[in-house]
Amino acid sequence: MIDIKKTYKNYVGGKYVRSESGKTYTKELKNDFYELPLTSKKDIRDAVTSSKEGFKKWSSVTPYLRMQILYRLSEMIEGNKESYVELLIDHGLTKQKANKDIDEAIQNIVWFAGLADKWEQLAGNLNPVSEEYFNISHQNPIGVVFSLSSSDISLNELLMSILPALTVGCSVISYSEENSLLALKFAEDINNSDFPSGSLNIVSGMFQNIINDVSKHVEINLISLHKELDDDGLKVIEENASESVKRIFSQPSTEGLSSILPYLETKTVWHPKGT
Amino acid sequence: MIDWQYSESIESADIVSLEKKYANYIGGKFVDPKSNKYLNTVSPSTEEILTKVPLSNEQDINSAVKSARSGFETWSKLSPHQRSRYLFKIARLIQERSREFAVLESLDGGKPIKESRDFDIPQVAANFFYFAGWADKLDLSWSTKSLKPYGVVGQIIPWNFPLLMLAWKIAPALATGNTVVLKPAETTPLTALLFAEICEQAGLPAGVVNIVTGDGSTGSQIVNHKDINKIAFTGSTQVGKLIQKSLAGRDVGLTLELGGKAANIVFEDAAIDQAVEGVVNGIFFNQGHVCCAGSRLLLQESIHDQFISKLEKRMQSLRVGNPLDKNTDIGAINSKEQLDKITNLVNEGIEDGGELFQTECELPGNGFWFRPSLFTNVQPSYSIAREEIFGPVLTTLTFRTPEEAVEIANNTEYGLSAGVWTEKGSKILWTADRLEAGVVWANTFNKFDPSSPFGGYKESGFGREGGRHGLLSYLKASS
Repeated sequence: MIDIKKTYKNYVGGKYVRSESGKTYTKELKNDFYELPLTSKKDIRDAVTSSKEGFKKWSSVTPYLRMQILYRLSEMIEGNKESYVELLIDHGLTKQKANKDIDEAIQNIVWFAGLADKWEQLAGNLNPVSEEYFNISHQNPIGVVFSLSSSDISLNELLMSILPALTVGCSVISYSEENSLLALKFAEDINNSDFPSGSLNIVSGMFQNIINDVSKHVEINLISLHKELDDDGLKVIEENASESVKRIFSQPSTEGLSSILPYLETKTVWHPKGT
Repeated sequence: MIDWQYSESIESADIVSLEKKYANYIGGKFVDPKSNKYLNTVSPSTEEILTKVPLSNEQDINSAVKSARSGFETWSKLSPHQRSRYLFKIARLIQERSREFAVLESLDGGKPIKESRDFDIPQVAANFFYFAGWADKLDLSWSTKSLKPYGVVGQIIPWNFPLLMLAWKIAPALATGNTVVLKPAETTPLTALLFAEICEQAGLPAGVVNIVTGDGSTGSQIVNHKDINKIAFTGSTQVGKLIQKSLAGRDVGLTLELGGKAANIVFEDAAIDQAVEGVVNGIFFNQGHVCCAGSRLLLQESIHDQFISKLEKRMQSLRVGNPLDKNTDIGAINSKEQLDKITNLVNEGIEDGGELFQTECELPGNGFWFRPSLFTNVQPSYSIAREEIFGPVLTTLTFRTPEEAVEIANNTEYGLSAGVWTEKGSKILWTADRLEAGVVWANTFNKFDPSSPFGGYKESGFGREGGRHGLLSYLKASS
């Protein structure tokens, strides 16, 4: 019997789609090869449109629900652990390393799930102003985040480039090059975890092709780069970003509370006290 | 009928002694500029030349940055307690010389003495006191020890609150262990140079604070200097974008506090008289030279006519004139350039079809002045409804539902501040949640406090100043 091989597609707006360009690039592994979508400028625009809708939905679910949806993601991955390990081994990892990576990824999802209904207490506070006013600083998610994932073949690294933004209610367009096969497989578990459509879009391709389209797109509010770019790449992105005061974070911290700070806008509200 | 005569009450300027020319403050010393060039600084209320200050060039910036680098060595070696004590000491010295600072601020910048005396300078001292206490508690501030100072910070500040913007910049930067090179605005350099004397009096180690005067070219030398670790800028969105672009591809931190076009939303169930007062304060405070000014009045349709008539009556009582008169509500426009900008935008508003109300008042013969102005019958597409005017000009728009109010309020690239007026608590919270603005004033406007974070969404910039959140602008995560 001949094997049935899976076709990997981009995941945009809760659907599996090919690149509108019809273009693909080949990813060769030890035992197999795959044709993956080569994301185009138009695909990016579609992903942003979907992410804007996704942001409205995802940022307005209660923290309690967001926590449960993230936790469900860990359940999905746990259930599919074998297939992830197999894919990582096919990428050249040892079985031990592959197992460790998936375990770490699951642990991090659970950690961030538990943060979903707590970060506002950690990142916001009352301010003791010296007049009779109630004054509170709390946070809003910044909006649509474009995240370039690390080149490491690692589900954990991929997740660390997504989870901080997602946990606080941003919608995320996750873009992968080297890690794309794993990312597109991961999309299947996203699809099974009750995330609102558009809250997390997963696309693959060659970042160099769309570097200008992403950094000039005014409806992307923030770009986080989890992969070291050459100086010219970063310069192009930051120059384009300045046209709309877009926030750029290169290799942001993924540790603890500081991991989520880039994705928050602080809003301070004043009200007089009186009778 | 009694004929009331106005009698003015002028604050004496004698407390201020101006030198013929000033020097930069670098490495704990006052040094003449290597550029050998100077700028005149004029009093905008009389057009009289007050004195001249250095127009610093690349060499001057080089020595300031060098001095800040060696200052950083010293400053880093001090214990946090010691850094804290220096800031406390500076705060006290500012309080002690507050009248001198207030008069100088009003002379050089044109703002009413009432504001410099009762708002600007007390807030300056309060900021140094507030951040003094953080200097030895940084590990508690965000529950981590991994936040470290940037090093040498370049700070470029505007002319609307000259000394207060200096305090917003220098106090948190020093508290977090950085050293600074600060450039005050071209038209308002004098209180910053007086602050340098305070640093001297406090015995602050050489190089920790460096003050360099000049114009835009001087600012650009700071931004492009190779040994700067972070830039903090307050000013226009246009210049902010240029700075962000200049720093592209470089490992330099950046925070930007840029322009605004704040909506001040008055619902029909607001306490109308209080709202009128708040709207007046929102736009006419500091001649409207406020980035967070409530420059777009959003009125619910049902109260439009009543509100406008009360507002015009209240505006008529505003006293425009000599900044040193303690009765003055509205002082001088900061510069000829700014006056021209305001005049052009207002003319554009009239041409577009806006209806203009201006108060009747006598304006002094010399100096730069603009009558308190109110536009009605405005379409959201007019430039007076979209562009930051930065003057005493209020633009009125109307709405029918809360949803529409939020949509109009957010329909701008800016996102610095907003106001909400209603007696209904749930409506305040509903509206505040939906406004894309870094500061929301509910049933109040233009309130500030060192403990209260300030800064914008969207093209109003990034980073916060003030409060626990303000510390993050001067600390970077390091592993």
